[in-house]
Amino acid sequence: MAGVQALDDTASGAAATAPPRKWELIPAGHGNTGTAFWLMAPAIAVYGIFTLFPIAVTFWLSFTDSAGFNTPASFVGVENYRKAVQDPIVWQALWQTIIWLIYHVVLAGGLGLGLALAIARLKRSQVFFRTAFFLPHLVSLAVVGVIWANIYDPFFGLLNTGLTEIGLGNWTQGWLSDPALVLFSVNVASSWQGFGLYMLLFIAGLQDIDPALYDAAEVDGANSWQKLIHVTLPGLREVMTFVMSLAMINGLKGFATVFVMTNGGPFYQSELITTYIYRLAFQAQDHGLAAVLCILLSLFAITITIVFNRWRARMAR
Amino acid sequence: MSMRNREWPVALALVPVLVLVLAPFAWLLVSSLKSEAEIGRADPFEWPAELMWQNYLDAWQIGGFGELVGNSFFNVAGVVILMLVTCAPAGYALSKIRFPGREWMFYALIFGMTIPIQAIVIPLYQVLSGLGLVNSLAGIVLAQVSNGIPFGIFLMRSFFTNVPDELVEAARIDGASHFQILTKIFLPISTPAVMALVIISALSTWNDFFLPLIVLISPDVQTIPLGLVRFAGTYASEYRLVFSGTVISFLPIILLYILTQRRFTEGLTQGAIKG
Repeated sequence: MAGVQALDDTASGAAATAPPRKWELIPAGHGNTGTAFWLMAPAIAVYGIFTLFPIAVTFWLSFTDSAGFNTPASFVGVENYRKAVQDPIVWQALWQTIIWLIYHVVLAGGLGLGLALAIARLKRSQVFFRTAFFLPHLVSLAVVGVIWANIYDPFFGLLNTGLTEIGLGNWTQGWLSDPALVLFSVNVASSWQGFGLYMLLFIAGLQDIDPALYDAAEVDGANSWQKLIHVTLPGLREVMTFVMSLAMINGLKGFATVFVMTNGGPFYQSELITTYIYRLAFQAQDHGLAAVLCILLSLFAITITIVFNRWRARMAR
Repeated sequence: MSMRNREWPVALALVPVLVLVLAPFAWLLVSSLKSEAEIGRADPFEWPAELMWQNYLDAWQIGGFGELVGNSFFNVAGVVILMLVTCAPAGYALSKIRFPGREWMFYALIFGMTIPIQAIVIPLYQVLSGLGLVNSLAGIVLAQVSNGIPFGIFLMRSFFTNVPDELVEAARIDGASHFQILTKIFLPISTPAVMALVIISALSTWNDFFLPLIVLISPDVQTIPLGLVRFAGTYASEYRLVFSGTVISFLPIILLYILTQRRFTEGLTQGAIKG
């Protein structure tokens, strides 16, 4: 840990020269700035090289004809943006990403909320249910992809064989081969993994609601439905917007389950922006077009973050 | 909350939902102990005539899970340590030291939180390749730490902000350096924040798939999720191996969770809400 040692030396050096005054009154002087810099240096170095620099290069790449990792690229203006607008798969991937995101918010967010409302009322069995329902969230999305690809297996999978065994043989489907069904099927797998965290956050939010509000509602003669509408849900507003933004960002980043289960197929019916970026960057080697999609994806994420932060800030007031 | 007396009806109503949600685990566990012929009969409710523990030995050996588990542990340890080394000092500087451009620096450092990792993957690969870090666990650690730094700094800073300034002033008057204040005072009283950072970065690293897919190309450096996907693709027709390999890949984290359940839940919830 040579880096830590160096930090220590610098920090104590600065302390030795700093006058022992009330530190807040010290104007932002040389010593403090130096110490602050050295304390931030490891983070700045790693983050600058592996995050900020790549963000800048992505922006630049979107204006070049880069066609591979070791090939020279030249400036082509907005050519890639024009290409993106004319590429039907870009539009399809964009549309499917929006649908995917809505599925995820409704399925994972909805299940998380519903379970939290039930579990938060429990006393003795609360820890048991909370722990048990959280288990799927511990599994890597890639492993979830392997699990659910087998569950959806048309001949040996849990779903079709189970349906057949209980006499619902005509409900069996080609869950991953039916173009109309595939995006939903894969999203179920993804949401099965995702809901546990949202459930925990909702439970924490429910526990923060002042019990006196329920007592007051009871005095006013409210039934449990009215208490849900007038006390519980308003009390959850802030957690709700937070979970929604988290679920939307998670949905936006969806990649592993699709990559493992269908690789975007059949006929691009489960292609998302992220899987299309991977295809363009590492298979088709069209880095210019891929970079345009990267920027689109970032703008999407930034918009969601800003909108929800504003919304939350307004609520807090 | 109200209706405390309604414990058992609610609990009973939850049981069928729980059975449905956990059915994939039950099915996998049972199927992983079946012979290939029994799996071929396609009856999920049939119990194996003989428990085939051999499936696990075969999957472990053929899939090279010993190596995968080792790589995953190294990966997680590296990320957790580097996350603490980078984020705790930065969070301290950004909350307790005044210097020009502090706000600006803070926003620059958390800006990355909004950028999905897939959106910077092309130059990230080029940088790693230029530094000779493709196909190395050190490379994956650095990329994952960088991706986690905005969240980590945000978390540590918001926790440190609530520590009274008087504590820093008193220690400064006693001649302590900022680094000493951080390690001797702030970190010991920040166990909840440190636990949250450790749990959240360990879980997301253990389960990461996208970055390993890009960076870890040869099988001997791969981590569990990537290794399992490769294994399941290669032996797709040998269900008994795929099933037992899948169980091997999620069992360690589930056992760890059940053992440390309360802390785990607290760290995850607190971290997510603060971050």
